[in-house]
Amino acid sequence: MTELVIQTKGLYKTYKKRAAVQDLNLEIARGDIYGFLGPNGAGKTTTIRMLLGLIQPTRGAIHLFGKDLKSEKMNILRRTGSLVEYPSYYGHLTAVENLEAIRRITGGPKSRIAEVLEIVSLTKEAKRPVKGYSLGMKQRLGIAAALLNNPELLILDEPTNGLDPSGIHEIRELIKNMPRQYGITVLVSSHLLGEVEQMADKVGIIREGRMVFQDTIDNLVSTASSGFRLSVSEPEAALGLALDLGCAGVLRDHMLELESMQDAKIALLVKRLVENQHAVYRVEEQRRSLEDIFMQIVGEGSRV
Amino acid sequence: MMFRALSADWLKIRGKGIWFLAALGPIGLAGMQGLNFGLRYDYLMKSYAADPWGGLLENVLFFVPIALFLGTTLVCSLMANVEHQLSSWKQLLALPISRTAVFSAKFVQAFLILCVSCLLLSVSTAVLGIMLGMGVEQMPYMDLLRIGFVQLFAALPMLAFQLWLSLTLKNQGIAVGIGVTASVVSMFALQFPDWMPLKWPLMAYMGPDQAKVIGAGLLLGALIICAGMIHFNRKDVD
Ligand SMILES: Nc1ncnc2c1ncn2[C@@H]1O[C@H](COP(=O)(O)OP(=O)(O)O)[C@@H](O)[C@H]1O
Ligand SMILES: [Mg+2]
Repeated sequence: MTELVIQTKGLYKTYKKRAAVQDLNLEIARGDIYGFLGPNGAGKTTTIRMLLGLIQPTRGAIHLFGKDLKSEKMNILRRTGSLVEYPSYYGHLTAVENLEAIRRITGGPKSRIAEVLEIVSLTKEAKRPVKGYSLGMKQRLGIAAALLNNPELLILDEPTNGLDPSGIHEIRELIKNMPRQYGITVLVSSHLLGEVEQMADKVGIIREGRMVFQDTIDNLVSTASSGFRLSVSEPEAALGLALDLGCAGVLRDHMLELESMQDAKIALLVKRLVENQHAVYRVEEQRRSLEDIFMQIVGEGSRV
Repeated sequence: MMFRALSADWLKIRGKGIWFLAALGPIGLAGMQGLNFGLRYDYLMKSYAADPWGGLLENVLFFVPIALFLGTTLVCSLMANVEHQLSSWKQLLALPISRTAVFSAKFVQAFLILCVSCLLLSVSTAVLGIMLGMGVEQMPYMDLLRIGFVQLFAALPMLAFQLWLSLTLKNQGIAVGIGVTASVVSMFALQFPDWMPLKWPLMAYMGPDQAKVIGAGLLLGALIICAGMIHFNRKDVD
């Protein structure tokens, strides 16, 4: 069994009788990049604040590194780096001074400051007051701060929010390397599937405070196929042949529209068509985009 | 742990005008008396002929409580604002450090800054006296030191309360409003009953029962710090 770095059981947070998070069971394994998805207001930040001990859960248990957050908070936080919502910084201080303010609390060698600045490519700007930074630079400084104490777990709340495409790309590359290069487990939240799908191993989708999907990204992808379209020389005869083979489908615009099927079956169908002197011009898989699936999940709250 | 947080706090208040404020208060008070004595030199020196240093201290004394309360209010607010301004609480409190240590460090920092102000008040009053031609041999060292520090101890409840308000309320208008109101009201402190903390600084300097008043200041201050800390420990951080 893989070791769980984050595990919550029946987590609730209620504000004035309105539940921001309900019955949440998160499971994040060591070395994973976990994409924590949900539209704005779904409860991502609230969950992350609870994981960091910033707010008290109304009900439920939180274990990080297999330890209870309530009783071992300091030990857990020592192994965790975080960036919650928009980045926090002291605008009048330089990047180095900002990191030094954190290092004075967490301990560790001064040389680590230069290391993390290097990782997020801020070395050149390190001596400027942070209030003059662009949003992307502030965001990267936030990630540097999270990395300062050599964490085993990195919790990043919407780290790409408000960035332009190149900024998003940079941060994505940065995060992708974390498990590989440093053995860090990452929880990264976002309201856009597209932002995490290229880096996450596993995703949890939350909607109105409830988890509606939690599985590997591969399993999410496998639900994406919705059928095939075939363009052939004699569509009507070809459809008959397909139906004989047990495929389900119809004819539309001189093309065969067939329901989703296994690889072996589509191969067999193509082989038969060719054997029967049909010319096969095109075989298209019709895929719903991941974004469509995501929208469907967060829209209806139904399981795919 | 508290010292780690304190060390970080010294870094954070750099260039925030807090040290400027801490110096401005006492030097301003001495400057005011410099003006007062300079303009009415002959008259004042004649009326305080028996004890010129005592006369100077008496004139300074009246303004110390309001300066102390105002200073407390502003120092606490400026310090807290460093964290509130860009919501740094969520970053700070997610570090491996207890909230008790964070709160204590802020208190110790505010207290030390005010100690520097009190020391500056003693020094600048002494310098003023010498400049006004008062004898160095007669200089009342103890009273010069007491005029700031003794009142600071008696003002600890106010410091604890303002720190708590400033740290827990993001809107500094409330904390500053309350603090300024208290400072202004304190100008009429001599007419208040003895149990009013706003009167304690003057009582702690002038007596009677100086020791008792200072003790009360320490005790009530400690109680408020404990209450503030318990609240700060449990509070949700947004
Ligand atoms: N301090 C608070 N008081 C009241 N409601 C809150 C508070 N914080 C968050 N909420 C509510 O909880 C819900 C979840 O918010 P949040 O966790 O910030 O969502 P997300 O990060 O997924 O966008 C929202 O409806 C929000 O209005
Ligand atoms: Mg959020």
